Amino acid sequence: MLKITDLHVAVDGGSKPVLKGLTLEVKPGEVHAIMGPNGSGKSTLSYVLAGRDGYAVTGGSVRFQDADLLELEPEERAAAGIFLAMQYPVEIPGVANNYFLRQSLNALRRARGEPEVSAAEFIKKLKAVAERVGVDPELLKRDVNAGFSGGEKKRNEILQMVMLEPKLCVLDETDSGLDIDALKTVADGVNSLRSPDRGMIVITHYQRLLDYIVPDFVHILADGRIRKTGGKELALALEEQGYEHLLGEAA
Amino acid sequence: MNAPARATRSRYVAPIPAFADAFTAARSSLPGKEAPAIQDWRQLHFDRFLETGLPTPRVEQWKYTNIARAANVPMALATRPNVGLGDVQRYFTGGPLARRLIFVNGHLASELSHVRGLPQGVRVESLGKLLQDEPEWSARALGGPAEPHSFADLNAAFLQSGAWIELGDGAVLEHPLQLLFLTVGQPAAVMAHPRIVVRLGKEARLHLIETHIGLAPGHCLTNLVGHYELGEKARLTHDRLQLGSAGTSFVGLNRQRLAERAELKQTLATLGGALVRNETDLHLVGSFVEAQLNGVYMPIGEEHVDNVIRIHHEAPDGHSDQFYKGVMDDRAHAAFAGKIIVHQDAQRTNAFQRNDNLLLSDDAEISSKPELEIYADDVKCSHGATCGELDRTALFYLRSRGLDRAQAESILTFAFAAEVIERFVDPAVRKLARECLVARTPGGAGLSDLL
Repeated sequence: MLKITDLHVAVDGGSKPVLKGLTLEVKPGEVHAIMGPNGSGKSTLSYVLAGRDGYAVTGGSVRFQDADLLELEPEERAAAGIFLAMQYPVEIPGVANNYFLRQSLNALRRARGEPEVSAAEFIKKLKAVAERVGVDPELLKRDVNAGFSGGEKKRNEILQMVMLEPKLCVLDETDSGLDIDALKTVADGVNSLRSPDRGMIVITHYQRLLDYIVPDFVHILADGRIRKTGGKELALALEEQGYEHLLGEAA
Repeated sequence: MNAPARATRSRYVAPIPAFADAFTAARSSLPGKEAPAIQDWRQLHFDRFLETGLPTPRVEQWKYTNIARAANVPMALATRPNVGLGDVQRYFTGGPLARRLIFVNGHLASELSHVRGLPQGVRVESLGKLLQDEPEWSARALGGPAEPHSFADLNAAFLQSGAWIELGDGAVLEHPLQLLFLTVGQPAAVMAHPRIVVRLGKEARLHLIETHIGLAPGHCLTNLVGHYELGEKARLTHDRLQLGSAGTSFVGLNRQRLAERAELKQTLATLGGALVRNETDLHLVGSFVEAQLNGVYMPIGEEHVDNVIRIHHEAPDGHSDQFYKGVMDDRAHAAFAGKIIVHQDAQRTNAFQRNDNLLLSDDAEISSKPELEIYADDVKCSHGATCGELDRTALFYLRSRGLDRAQAESILTFAFAAEVIERFVDPAVRKLARECLVARTPGGAGLSDLL
């Protein structure tokens, strides 16, 4: 469903290359973990997939289903089924969480030619999902992420993800700032979305998350490229030996 | 006649003679007309107004507002058109138990008002009635002239109506008191001069709602004066909503004096009116005073909004916080000038000021001028002013959730201003303000679910 081929991306007005020939294919039903040291380009990859501006694609291609993903606006990518759970979710004071989520869900439905969801139907679903991903019902009425703790923000991202039912989930360091209980709840939410027709990219620093969201593939991203690919055991090896040792071996 | 006025005369222009004609015409019908005490009081202020004149933009505090646009036309006192309950009910705020004084073009509409059954120690009266019934007492209570102020003097000369609100020591009004000022435009240019006097005794508590609503367009200048005295540990919550209609202008001066441990929480939204100027002169007279001033303005078309604030920290351990936000569209112009003066004795003062602005059009304009004047050495003061466009990260966040750019921009613009609206204490005021905010937000029709 997602095919990234020899992707080159630069920041700072195109002067600073970050991704230098990244190739990755995600098929329906697969969970891919991407690990890598700071500055290796993990977050850049997630933003390029979601369509944030400020990233210049200088080479390569990204196909999502039948579309050239790079040609699409962020909202068109969302409608196509891409969801990025952000590392730093944005606070929007003045806009209630449940309002925002309903607008979002209906915008996606409209873009897909589906009927909008009724208020009653929406609230029923929202309550159920909130309970499943451990979001306090009070937070649904509060302004989007405003005054939320780090953990509450991350859970709110997962809440959005489960509500919007994307085809490809991209999770950017969703585990950072979470204690072990929160990590489990979040992982449960993510796992509930695992299905044969849905792909996932899980970006993380730590092997710990992958105990709960068990990946089919683990990739090590370093210096803008995938340097090593393996099964879930690669994450364990990485935890024991560190990037330098593993990548030294690869080189 | 008056030395300070003469010295600054070069910065003022003589008022058009029409003011004198209007004064001559009105004085025989204004409340207290038979009483020499009131007549003298009015004359004193009017003479000083003639002496001072109207400010030009060369006067520091009028730098950003050329008042000629609103005041340099012959205006008579506005008459009272017929306004029924059906016209005003939607502006009722404060809940079913709120007391209410309603003014139409500066005239008290007593048949629409309701201030009966007040608890012990609470006095709410029509100022017009006081001037008429108790002229000597009124003249003394309203006080002689402080420093010259063109519009405050004009207000005294033409004072028609308003509210006298007095709470004795320990008196509490549990439900809000709403002062609803309606402006109905008339074929000719007109003016109105209401006044609000609030005196809170020791530990008294009041939630005052002040709403200014334009019901029909037309050149009408409302010139309001507010005097607020808060005693020791008194608490005033003051929600102020300004929804003027096309052509209506508003000039207001609020003087507030806060005694020891008094608390003021004021929230002001300006969402309509050709020219609106709010001047605030706040004195923290006692120690440990808490004063919070929130404001939001959202001028569109060719509207002009000016907020001028002076906060005087005169005693130690005071805390003041100004939080003002503005959204300017089309060819609108807004100004914010906030000055904090910390006197030598006001040690351990905390004084903060923020003014954040959003420009939606290339032709819109904002002038923001923060000022600190500090004479004490142990103080914490800060100010910050920003002016910019919508936050790109937030825009991306919304679009990544499927909202298109226009929809995302609408939501963020609304949210930017709504942050202040949320600080209104009364839910009905908040709702009215949100409706007007949505109506003024580009693409706001798509935001109706927010209401």
